[in-house]
Amino acid sequence: MDSIRLEHTFPEVFAKRSDLQSDVWQQDVTFERGKLYLVEADSGTGKSSLCSFIYGYRQDYQGIITFDGQNIRNFKTRDWTRLRRNNLSLMWQELRLFPELTAMENVMIKNRLTGFKRRKQILEWFDALGISDKVDTKVGIMSYGQQQRVALMRALAQPIDFLFVDEPISHLDDGNARQMADVMMEEATRQGAGVVVTSIGKHVDMNYDKILHL
Amino acid sequence: MILVWKLLRQHISGLQLLGFFLANLLGMLIVLLALQFYRDVRPVFSQEDGVINNDYIIISRRISAFGVGTSSFTKNEIEDIQDQPFTVRLGAFTASQYKVSCSMGIEGVANFGTQMYFEAVPDLFVDTDRSQWKYEEGSDFVPIILPRSYLSIYNFGFAQGRSLPQLSEGVVSMIDMTVLLRGDSKEFRMRGKVVGFTNRLNTILVPESFMQWSNREFAPGADADPTRLIVEVGNPTDDRIAKYIQQHNYDIDEDKLQAGKATYFLKVMSGIVMGVGLLISALSFFILMLSIYLLVQKNTVKFRNLLLIGYSPAQVSLPYQLLTIVLNGLVLAIALLMLYVLRQRYMNLLWAMFPTIEEGTMRPAYVLGGVIFLLVSVLNVMAIRHKVSKCF
Repeated sequence: MDSIRLEHTFPEVFAKRSDLQSDVWQQDVTFERGKLYLVEADSGTGKSSLCSFIYGYRQDYQGIITFDGQNIRNFKTRDWTRLRRNNLSLMWQELRLFPELTAMENVMIKNRLTGFKRRKQILEWFDALGISDKVDTKVGIMSYGQQQRVALMRALAQPIDFLFVDEPISHLDDGNARQMADVMMEEATRQGAGVVVTSIGKHVDMNYDKILHL
Repeated sequence: MILVWKLLRQHISGLQLLGFFLANLLGMLIVLLALQFYRDVRPVFSQEDGVINNDYIIISRRISAFGVGTSSFTKNEIEDIQDQPFTVRLGAFTASQYKVSCSMGIEGVANFGTQMYFEAVPDLFVDTDRSQWKYEEGSDFVPIILPRSYLSIYNFGFAQGRSLPQLSEGVVSMIDMTVLLRGDSKEFRMRGKVVGFTNRLNTILVPESFMQWSNREFAPGADADPTRLIVEVGNPTDDRIAKYIQQHNYDIDEDKLQAGKATYFLKVMSGIVMGVGLLISALSFFILMLSIYLLVQKNTVKFRNLLLIGYSPAQVSLPYQLLTIVLNGLVLAIALLMLYVLRQRYMNLLWAMFPTIEEGTMRPAYVLGGVIFLLVSVLNVMAIRHKVSKCF
């Protein structure tokens, strides 16, 4: 998958708003593979909605979203399952980890599905992200910042054409945020993936190809 | 898959599953036991001899004290019986209108001969192995079915007193008989062989086609009314049969009617018990479904997250589907085991009372149990899949 295009798209809840000032909503926007985007937003402007529309689990939008020219409204469950394994990855703002599993198990539950990374590589990530002592700790008792790092690793344990990270560093200090950005960009660059980072203010300084205001 | 199971096994209520397990086991056992018991006990009542099936009665006219008056049925009377609501099918006994004598011997030396007669009923009423039960015009061979009591009379009365060998059914079936048919103007010699024995029909039976041919050939014009009728009835316990028979001063085999009644009651009882068993099975099925639905409900967030990270609905459904299939399989296995033990016990009792009863098999229970298992499992699997798909 090489491009994600939004044509005049906006969330249905905004239908009655006439004061919509956005680089994304009601515009024609294309995300291209291999590029890095930052979507800046104030809270309540539909940042997480954007991710959920593109990731296929909410359809309450107007306009058209296409993957390589194909309208995603026509996709079936089977198509989405395939896309989520092989093309599209999302790190949720709310993380969606399984608190009863350990950090490693949370990454492995995705990696077993894709068979994409070896355990050794995943342990290297743990190391690089500074939580190598938490490998066998249940996610439920880890801090939110630590959980964010586990969620990132899970998001990276698959083939990626496009990676969406929804406020990835909201609970991290600058040092840890930097490490996380490095791990993410290393993997994304290696795969030639497009990366879309959303943020409500705090974001890592990276070489963004485009900065959009939502 | 291990990780998925580790996730999804949470919230599984052992108590609910145990409840389902016991209820389903009880239901399954009752259904299978009812069927198996019915199949095992039925021969006791029906004494099936394979010649005449169960729900048939034989009607004759009551013979008066001095043997006066007619003993045959007129066409009108037959039609009247045919029109009765209890009648399913009716056939007339046709008697031979000519003289028959029969001799049997070994290696061509005739050493036992007797005068006799033949009767025939429509082939439809003979449900023995019909491969031998046919006669083709021009053939000189005629198959015969004998009442079993005739053999007893020979074996225990005649042979004993004259130090003659006793004959088994198998031996009798091997004996070649020479049958001599004698009409007014001609006679014909043919070969005869006993192809079966009956407990029910107190007559010497030949195929109807043979009877038609021989009566035409040896007693042309003598078209006598039948003296006995065989009637297939829908329900042998029907009051109207007894009433009708009494009103018209007919005779039927009471014993036969009793056996029919007993079989009918056995059928009804087994039906009721099976119905109760099926009801319990159905209820237990709902317990399981509710339990699974509750589980899915409790785990909705997990299901949703698994689907969002790329698991397919089929993969996510699989653990619970396997769980139900294993449970159902376990229920079937244990129910069959319990049935086996119970059956041993009641069969021993039955053998003590009726030594001749056949051992039979548990195949009906296997088949029915398998069908229930498949049906319930397929429904479970589909329902779980449906419920999980809704999380997508």
